[in-house]
Amino acid sequence: MINSFSQIWIVIQMNIRSLPQRFWMSFAAVLAVSVVVAVLLSFLAMSNGFKKTLEGAGSEEVAIVTRSGSKSELNSVLSRDIVNIITTAPGIAQNTAGQPVYSPELYVVVDGIKKSSNTKANLPMRGISAAGFDLRDHVDIVAGRMFETGTNQIIAGEAVQREFSGFELGKTVRFGKTEWTVVGIFSTGGSAFESELWAEARTLQSQFRRGTSFQTVRIRLAEPGDTDGLLAMEKNDPRLSLDIQTEAEFFKEQGEAIGGMVYLGWGLSIIMGLGALAGALNTMYTSVSSREQEIATLRAIGFSNVSAFFGTLSESLVLSLMGGIFGAVIAYIFMDGLSSSTMGAGFTQVVFTFKLSPELFRQAVFLALAIGLVGGIFPAWRAARLPVVLAFRGGV
Amino acid sequence: MSNILYDLRKISKSFIKGKEKITVFDGLDMSIKKGDFLAIMGPSGSGKTTLLNLLGGVDQPTGGEVWFDEARVDTLSESELARWRANNIGFIFQFYNLMPMLNAARNVELPLLLTSLSKKQRKKSVETALELVDLADRAKHMPSEMSGGQQQRVAIARAIVSDPKLMLCDEPTGDLDRKTADEILEMLQLLNRKFGKTIVMVTHDPEAAKYAKRTLHLDKGVFIEKELVA
Amino acid sequence: MSDLYLIYKNLIRKPLRFFLTLFAIFVAFLIYGALTAFDTAFHAGVELSADDRLITVNKINFTQPLPISYVRKVEAVDGIAAVVHMNWFGGYYQDPKTQIQTFAVDQTKLLSVYGDDIIIEPAEHAAWLQNRQGLVAGRAVAEAHGWKVGDRIPLSSNIFSQKDGRTSWDFDIVSIYTGSSAQIDTNGIYIRYDYFNETNSFGGDYIGWMGIRTKNPSLNEKVIKDIDDMFVNSPYETETVPEKAFVKGFLSQLGNISLMITSVVFAAFFIILVVVGFSMVLAVKERTSEIGVMKTLGFRSGRLFRMVLGESFMLVFVGGTLGLWAATGFLGLLNNVPQFPVPDIILTQAIILESIGIMALLGLITGIIPAAYALRLNIITALSRR
Repeated sequence: MINSFSQIWIVIQMNIRSLPQRFWMSFAAVLAVSVVVAVLLSFLAMSNGFKKTLEGAGSEEVAIVTRSGSKSELNSVLSRDIVNIITTAPGIAQNTAGQPVYSPELYVVVDGIKKSSNTKANLPMRGISAAGFDLRDHVDIVAGRMFETGTNQIIAGEAVQREFSGFELGKTVRFGKTEWTVVGIFSTGGSAFESELWAEARTLQSQFRRGTSFQTVRIRLAEPGDTDGLLAMEKNDPRLSLDIQTEAEFFKEQGEAIGGMVYLGWGLSIIMGLGALAGALNTMYTSVSSREQEIATLRAIGFSNVSAFFGTLSESLVLSLMGGIFGAVIAYIFMDGLSSSTMGAGFTQVVFTFKLSPELFRQAVFLALAIGLVGGIFPAWRAARLPVVLAFRGGV
Repeated sequence: MSNILYDLRKISKSFIKGKEKITVFDGLDMSIKKGDFLAIMGPSGSGKTTLLNLLGGVDQPTGGEVWFDEARVDTLSESELARWRANNIGFIFQFYNLMPMLNAARNVELPLLLTSLSKKQRKKSVETALELVDLADRAKHMPSEMSGGQQQRVAIARAIVSDPKLMLCDEPTGDLDRKTADEILEMLQLLNRKFGKTIVMVTHDPEAAKYAKRTLHLDKGVFIEKELVA
Repeated sequence: MSDLYLIYKNLIRKPLRFFLTLFAIFVAFLIYGALTAFDTAFHAGVELSADDRLITVNKINFTQPLPISYVRKVEAVDGIAAVVHMNWFGGYYQDPKTQIQTFAVDQTKLLSVYGDDIIIEPAEHAAWLQNRQGLVAGRAVAEAHGWKVGDRIPLSSNIFSQKDGRTSWDFDIVSIYTGSSAQIDTNGIYIRYDYFNETNSFGGDYIGWMGIRTKNPSLNEKVIKDIDDMFVNSPYETETVPEKAFVKGFLSQLGNISLMITSVVFAAFFIILVVVGFSMVLAVKERTSEIGVMKTLGFRSGRLFRMVLGESFMLVFVGGTLGLWAATGFLGLLNNVPQFPVPDIILTQAIILESIGIMALLGLITGIIPAAYALRLNIITALSRR
């Protein structure tokens, strides 16, 4: 007497080996599942890529100061006086000369032409100083050179190169009455800063008639994540009405701007998954009815109904797994690394790339197997309950 | 008016199977009188089924002429043949071939969809046909709810409902037990005797053949012990 | 009994299979209906924008300001019927995370330019002209916060602060405006520029942009040229575009939503094409001998072809109609969500017509192979295949 595990194993093998006989219906189920998985992964990769791009911009060692309630760099305004006061707070890192390390920055919006649609889109142009460079990790000039002080020179991020036209090295761009020359291309390791144009802060102040005001100030913290000194000062000084966050927190919030895409993606793929489930159930019921006699014969010679159940269930799981893998491969080929841009929380374009991850693949395979499980369990139940007498009914 | 219903003149029929040419008939002559009840017997491969297909107009001979009721049939196009079948032939099959999703009455009604009868007339014809096969009380039953004999009676009702000139029966009792088979055969006999239906029946069963007025034996495409055509 | 009855009976003979394929179609049309309606509503601004309206913004970018002195100069341009200037206030009520589109405008000119879209009761409008702290709220935003005419509410700005340092202003709600059609967004708030400009701590005497109505759309080109030429080489160069172009440009900044929606809808239809297509083939193949019998009885091939095709049409149309019906219900629920960021999403006639077209196409594609199989089926082989 063969034990039940080897019984199940034999039946599973028989089922799977006979798959090619039901090629077209099985193919339909695989295809339907793979489309569902590809749709899910597209949404997840989009949301994940966007999040990674913004989170990559944020550092735990840097605090970002904005006007209270402004929520974005664009809305914030800080006067020179405010900058001078807050940068005397305790807990700020100092350089070798004993000076606090901080970067007051300007943030204005200019028009750029999006390559994909050939329409204008909001590009952030940041006024920055040498200190601003020191505050950011992984900034590199990858082509050309740094801008010179006191000139209308800009350096453009790599993502700007990818998604917008007119900012190639050496090109001259006009913003209103003033002309600017692109003298360098910079990289920040794929983070959101690469969607920006950078120029010297003082030049930008004068050309955009901002007087001596800034929008934000970035401050290097003596202790990573510790903004207590800054917060205490903000609280105690009546002249200050500021929001103080680590840069990491600030960008994490912004990275959730299209977090809704995750829910939309899951919502849509679950609904579409129900459509695919209809296909899977159809396929599996057809499979059971075409093998009725085979199943009944096995039962007649002593196989258990448990083996009939698992044979059918595993066929369904194999099909859906194939669909899941196929869909994931499709998503990986067509979606991973796809560059796109959207309006971020800062009212400016954030260029990001779709990014898949092992975790996302796990989620996709989970969805595929869920379809396979539900699509297999009912037909398997039917297979397990087929009357043995069917084996003796010759045909018809 | 001639009393010959069917006249097959020098019929030949051959198939190409693989590389081989199989000849079933080579110059077969046959005629069937109106009001006849003819049983055709013969071993497997003798050409019974092919003959039945030719008589039913679902297949065409490779040579010779087929005359039915003084009109030539072998030259008709496929869609003309379909109409001709609908008007002239009632079919009864070994496995009844009822539509499983239709109840008895609707199965009987099926051939009437090919006529121009009104809804009311169709209903009346169906009732008459079901009464004739003694199934008026089963009109609403589905085929799956009926025994084999009952199903075959529904099939007979379907075959006679449009009042065809010829009924073709392909092993009508092949799937039934003796007692039920006798009932079906008695019913065919009744249709022949009382209503003058011309019937051709292909069968393996010598008992079944006894119900016919005469029996022809087919072997290798020719009739042996030919009986006289009266 | 008729052919239709036979088609129907064939369709439902395996109730489980019928239900499953119907469900797949239902799902696809539910997705199609909901997403396409969303896309239409999302782009409604483009369709609804008036041909005789223009927008003048700072040439650098529309977030850059313009001096208020420009309004007088633009009003003098030939062919212009009215000009209203606007500022983005960056308003929010209690929760800074929930932005309310708040515009500080010239209250005397708002309706002269946008009166075709937004409706303010004349008496309430008169009250607004009298009350510097008057605020006009859209129906949707008012309902979301439970505001009524006569309420006094604090509204904060995430950009501006008052001269005394407060970032919150007090307003009297003098009117709740409505849209002239369901597709007009009523999530906005209008406040008076004079009050805003006087109390605001910085950026005084600057405006955000100008909304312009021309006397006739045919004058647009000339007006655009006249305005932009007037300010060329000034510190604030302008760019004037038709409203339609501006809305379109703004929406395209969000990314290619339509492409995304089209891809998802396409994927959904692809699934049912595969699922329904293959089960139709299977269903008809299983019926091989029945089709043979019907042909034997004298049913012509063309008629059987039409019956099989009719079956797939019936399946797709029933499932599709149910799906659209469910989409309508779903959108109805969505429209009742307070402060949903888009105006009413409805299944427009165009969407319904398009879906009928898609149903016909799907019915044809999924039915044609099995129908051709039925058409070409030979009686003798059909009957010997039992």
